[in-house]
Amino acid sequence: MKTSAVFSALLSLLSLASAASADSKSSSTSTTLPATFKPPQVFKNANLVHVISVEKNYVKENINVLVQNIDKAAQDEYFVPFTADQLSRLGGVEVKDRKDSNAGPFVAEAVEFDQESDIQYLRIRLPKPLAPGAQQTLGISYYLLKAYKPLPASIKQEEPQFLSFSFSAYCPSAYTTTKQKTEVKFPSSTIPDYTKIPGSGEITEFPQVQGSKLTYGPFDEKPAGATQPVSVRFEFNKPVTHVSHLERDIEVSHWGGNVAFEERYTLYHRGANLSSLFNRVKWQQSQYYQPNTFALKELKFPLRVGSADPYYTDVIGNVSTSRFRSNKREALLEIKPRYPVFGGWKFPFTIGWNSDAKNFLRQTAAGGFVLNVPFLEGPRQPEGVEYEQVQVRVILPEGAENVQYHTSVPSQSINQVSVELHRTFLDTIGRTALVIKGRNLVDDFRDRELVITYDYPLAAALRKPLIIFGSAVAVFVSAWLVGNLELKFDTRKK
Amino acid sequence: MDSSLHEVWQAAAGSPFVPTVGKDNQFLVGFVLLLLGLGLGGAFTLNRSIVNLPVLAVPASAALAFGVVYMFCAVGVYV
Repeated sequence: MKTSAVFSALLSLLSLASAASADSKSSSTSTTLPATFKPPQVFKNANLVHVISVEKNYVKENINVLVQNIDKAAQDEYFVPFTADQLSRLGGVEVKDRKDSNAGPFVAEAVEFDQESDIQYLRIRLPKPLAPGAQQTLGISYYLLKAYKPLPASIKQEEPQFLSFSFSAYCPSAYTTTKQKTEVKFPSSTIPDYTKIPGSGEITEFPQVQGSKLTYGPFDEKPAGATQPVSVRFEFNKPVTHVSHLERDIEVSHWGGNVAFEERYTLYHRGANLSSLFNRVKWQQSQYYQPNTFALKELKFPLRVGSADPYYTDVIGNVSTSRFRSNKREALLEIKPRYPVFGGWKFPFTIGWNSDAKNFLRQTAAGGFVLNVPFLEGPRQPEGVEYEQVQVRVILPEGAENVQYHTSVPSQSINQVSVELHRTFLDTIGRTALVIKGRNLVDDFRDRELVITYDYPLAAALRKPLIIFGSAVAVFVSAWLVGNLELKFDTRKK
Repeated sequence: MDSSLHEVWQAAAGSPFVPTVGKDNQFLVGFVLLLLGLGLGGAFTLNRSIVNLPVLAVPASAALAFGVVYMFCAVGVYV
């Protein structure tokens, strides 16, 4: 009895071990680097300035760093560490050489090495390997979405809103940093709370406050991976607009000479919730004596000149609180949500408009077509807008082929690109649709272009009228055939 | 992704795409063609014969075909 129990326990242990090995196998197939990966200590950050801007409702960070190769061989891979949570909210990574603007944006991509690890890395590939002892100034900029927490979490509708943000006073780095400082820029000088840390050198206490700017540092040499958690709380009496999902359709029509745009937004306010029920009377009064509020009450879309026929709807139907100002110089669509949007509230809506094809579409010398449209055309707000998931779908005419595209949106923010079929009115095989899925983008990228080239043969263009022509001829011929049928009884006498 | 596409766009600056029938004339063209198509079709239904198939029915079908496409565009469904 006893031996059988021991045996079964051993068996279960064995099966557990085999399950674990199967797990590790499956995870190792999806990784590019071993789970024990640590960036090789081949660089040193000679000087680093970390600028964190919390002026908008997303965080923009700039790391300007002078890197030095301390290895004996030339190196071309620089790693930047992020926590797994940060990496999921990271977007719009652009890396440039601060001294040489012609060096172009460097390739930056997330490295997957161990899904379970809390520290993940972004790998920057230098276009030219850095020689031993040589230095290069990198300008790394990126955006963090969903970065703030309102504190207090719920307030009255006429109270100002405060947000809190946590970060590390030492810039997270995979390498030793000789000298560094961190600057934090705020939307106003009202910063009621911030973490104080002991100073170094002549300065007794960090941070130093200058108006709407806090400076932690300069710090002396810090080892790789050193962190100093600090948090700040600041006034942000503006909406924290977060678009969790944006679907943008761009439909090209050669027959109509039109490019139609439609954008479907799922918009949230991530700011402070209301501590009591919404009071319409108080809201209406405050519009006169205190119009500055953290509620979202208006969105302005500067569209391209020549835009026409705008519409603005939500789940109920047409929303009449909008204005469209269109002339030779501008085409500004101003919309007001159906209700002021407070923290924790949601407002899904749809807008759309038309434009002449000549503004976006050109014919190439080779006989093909080239389309140039903005990748994003969302609202331009002083407080900014962040987009978590973006799906841009460019619906080309039916039968368009040989689709190629290029976008100046950072490649790190593009998830997936596919060519699909979209079926709608008068279609037989369906229209060619290029679908680009992006994530973690902000309104700074709103005028980045998306260039698409495609071929559209004449036979494909004539498909629609030919189908209708064929159907009509079939109707007429069958009418003639049916009309010739003799259905009467034969009355001839035999 | 091909960054040379931006140059393709620049090179094509002189040839913006202009449709065969502009937006302002789509309704007129569509309406006239539909009217013509329905008229010819009506004439064919009144006098169905093998001769009238190519004489009336085929031109009626052609007029209907282009008329439908332009009327779709004229009412805002840009096909």
